[in-house]
Amino acid sequence: MVVVRIPTSAAASPLPVPRGGGGGIVRALKDAIRSIETGAGAGGDHGAIPFGVSAIDQALGGGLARAAFHEIAAARESATAAASGFALTLAAHATGARAVLWVAEDMGLVENGAPYGPGLDDVDLAPEQLVTVVAAKPRDVLWAMEEALRCRAVGAVIGEIRSPDRGVDLVASRRLSLAAGRRGTCAVLVRSHPGTHASAAATRWLVAAAPSAGGTGPGPPRFCVQLTRNRRGPIGSWMLEWNRVERRFDLAPSLPQPVADAACDRPHRTAAAGA
Amino acid sequence: MRLATDRIARQRPAPDPRPLVVTGKRGNVEQLTAVDAAAQELGLRPGLALAEARARYPDLAVVAEHRAGDRRLLDDLADWCQRYTPLVALDPPDGVLLDIAGCAHLYGGEEKLLADLLARLARFGFAARAAIASTIGTAFAAGRFGAGTTIIAPGGERAVLDPLPLVALRLPDDMAAALKRVGLKRVGDIVDLPRSPLAARFGDALLRQLARALGAEREPLTPLLPVAPYVAEQPFAEPIAREDDVLAVIARLAARLKPMLERRGEGARAIELTLFRTDGAVRRVAIATSRPVREPPDIRALFVERLASLADALDPGFGFDLARLSIVAAEPCPPEQIGLGAHADDADLDRLIDRLSARLGARRVMRLVANDSHIPELAAAAVPAQAGGAVEAGWAAFRRFRAGVELSPRPLRLLVKPEPIEAIAAVPDGPPVRFRWRRALHEVVAADGPERIEGAWWSEEAGPARDYFRVEDKAGHRFWLFRAGLYRSADAPRWFLHGTFA
Repeated sequence: MVVVRIPTSAAASPLPVPRGGGGGIVRALKDAIRSIETGAGAGGDHGAIPFGVSAIDQALGGGLARAAFHEIAAARESATAAASGFALTLAAHATGARAVLWVAEDMGLVENGAPYGPGLDDVDLAPEQLVTVVAAKPRDVLWAMEEALRCRAVGAVIGEIRSPDRGVDLVASRRLSLAAGRRGTCAVLVRSHPGTHASAAATRWLVAAAPSAGGTGPGPPRFCVQLTRNRRGPIGSWMLEWNRVERRFDLAPSLPQPVADAACDRPHRTAAAGA
Repeated sequence: MRLATDRIARQRPAPDPRPLVVTGKRGNVEQLTAVDAAAQELGLRPGLALAEARARYPDLAVVAEHRAGDRRLLDDLADWCQRYTPLVALDPPDGVLLDIAGCAHLYGGEEKLLADLLARLARFGFAARAAIASTIGTAFAAGRFGAGTTIIAPGGERAVLDPLPLVALRLPDDMAAALKRVGLKRVGDIVDLPRSPLAARFGDALLRQLARALGAEREPLTPLLPVAPYVAEQPFAEPIAREDDVLAVIARLAARLKPMLERRGEGARAIELTLFRTDGAVRRVAIATSRPVREPPDIRALFVERLASLADALDPGFGFDLARLSIVAAEPCPPEQIGLGAHADDADLDRLIDRLSARLGARRVMRLVANDSHIPELAAAAVPAQAGGAVEAGWAAFRRFRAGVELSPRPLRLLVKPEPIEAIAAVPDGPPVRFRWRRALHEVVAADGPERIEGAWWSEEAGPARDYFRVEDKAGHRFWLFRAGLYRSADAPRWFLHGTFA
């Protein structure tokens, strides 16, 4: 086997690619580099999942790479729900009509609860697509993820691991990356704590819940996402709002809370905000 | 007969020359319950008081009885007997019944089967008596009360039974005693007696047992395990011990089963591998599949995962000398469709589910189904993915229902059980202002609700009505809380956290 090392800076050009003309060559070269990087020689390019937010798509080079391994960590343990919601949303977009596998540890299930069918539609995932797997040990979680990544009928695999630095080392993440690249399946690892270990993930995210722009009731969910590692481009941090109607992320205004409190003495404003 | 003493003798590190007796309390007396061959030669019999036996022969090895241990040993022996026939039944306290119809020729005839069985048992250290007969009753009587190991030809039952005592007919003790009182001691005494007075005096049971022993009435055998519809087995001249060899044998046996399955258009849903160890232990490994399979590589792959998940692996000891692959449950399996597309993908997913279930356990690989219930924790359930079934139908109905009533949002993750929280509400029926969950205090800044969900009032263990609120705390975490009960009611309402939103 021949291993070709390409300096990551060459592959991770954040420059927008011009259409037509010389762009074709650049694109072909980028594809070739990408396929070497992901180890998906035969699999080729499986495309990207666009966020719909131009700033993020630009940083990611068109969107989240479908055939890759991504790590999403909750900024704090209390943000696990936000992190898993973010991961399920990405997985739902990556999978299309195929199945999604959600692999968790026993304790994770007890601590954070199991995916609830009636709530999954809100993140755009049909409950009948989901297969949930519970494993006793982190090692079993990784094994199940790798098995699932080899399956043609699975479009995305989400693993949830609570203990921050046990089990998931560079070798394990590399294995997952290779398995994801081979079949074009999206692999996502959700952690309850941000890990400090080395990882071969294509992107690493730090997700926290953010206060929504609500009137009286909670508004559409907001996520404070931080891209802490990106193999293809720059990192960044954004405030995203999940748009349930359009089924995509919107960039939320950077101020998390309204400067002034919602007016309680002007009922027409309150009504407009609540609607 | 000597099961208890043989069990003790087998467990002894060194042979003990003293006669061995096993004792237990019967009524108020410590009696002998089993004696070994040496003790029997001295004239000791079960039923004798221990004090009397000691008075006669002070130098006895006395061991207290252990019925559970004897029973376990008998279970193990019955398991081991499955190598001769799948139809094995227990005959407690110390017997095993084997239905060898159609199996004897595999061993070269009934004599050879019996010789093989007794030789193997003797090697394990059991002194066994056996009899082959065409009825259970006769085999029982001849095995326990007869002269020795015998094979009774069909039609010969009468001759064998006549001289035997009436207890050989498996009669209740009081009935045997009553018969003895009127001078009827042997089977031969009652065979030719007029039926109706016997039945009038002693009941139908006596005549039924007689008819069964003589073969006039059929007696069913209740096997320990259901008989598998498809079985393939492979004996080994040289015991095998390596896992690779076992897997190779599985593939070979599966290949032998495949044409049988194909002929009947069926596939396996549950498969059991039985491995007989040379020292008599039996290992069973079972797998289940989510769709009928018959391809040997698929079956082998499932066993690879199952064996990997076994904590103590196969523990082959000195090796296995017989392997049996039984298809415990089979289902009609449509002819394999060749081609690509959605159908192939489905099969691929099922294969993945089978692999995961084999390794992790079937209850750990689940799919979500919608149930027709308004109570949140019952509205969706996780069922083993292998069980299959119509997953889609329930969700389609749920979506129609939700569109119809404009159901408020449901949480992304539901806790296994609602967790009690300490909450303070501003107004009795309003959302909480702040609450403490898992020792962390959350200030509620936005709340939506209440959505009242009534308990199952028609049921006995119905809980109170719940008022659900969707709340968001200062940091943006969203929770699904509910208050069980009302402030106006007698009991103070309690607050629970039931789920989290993204």
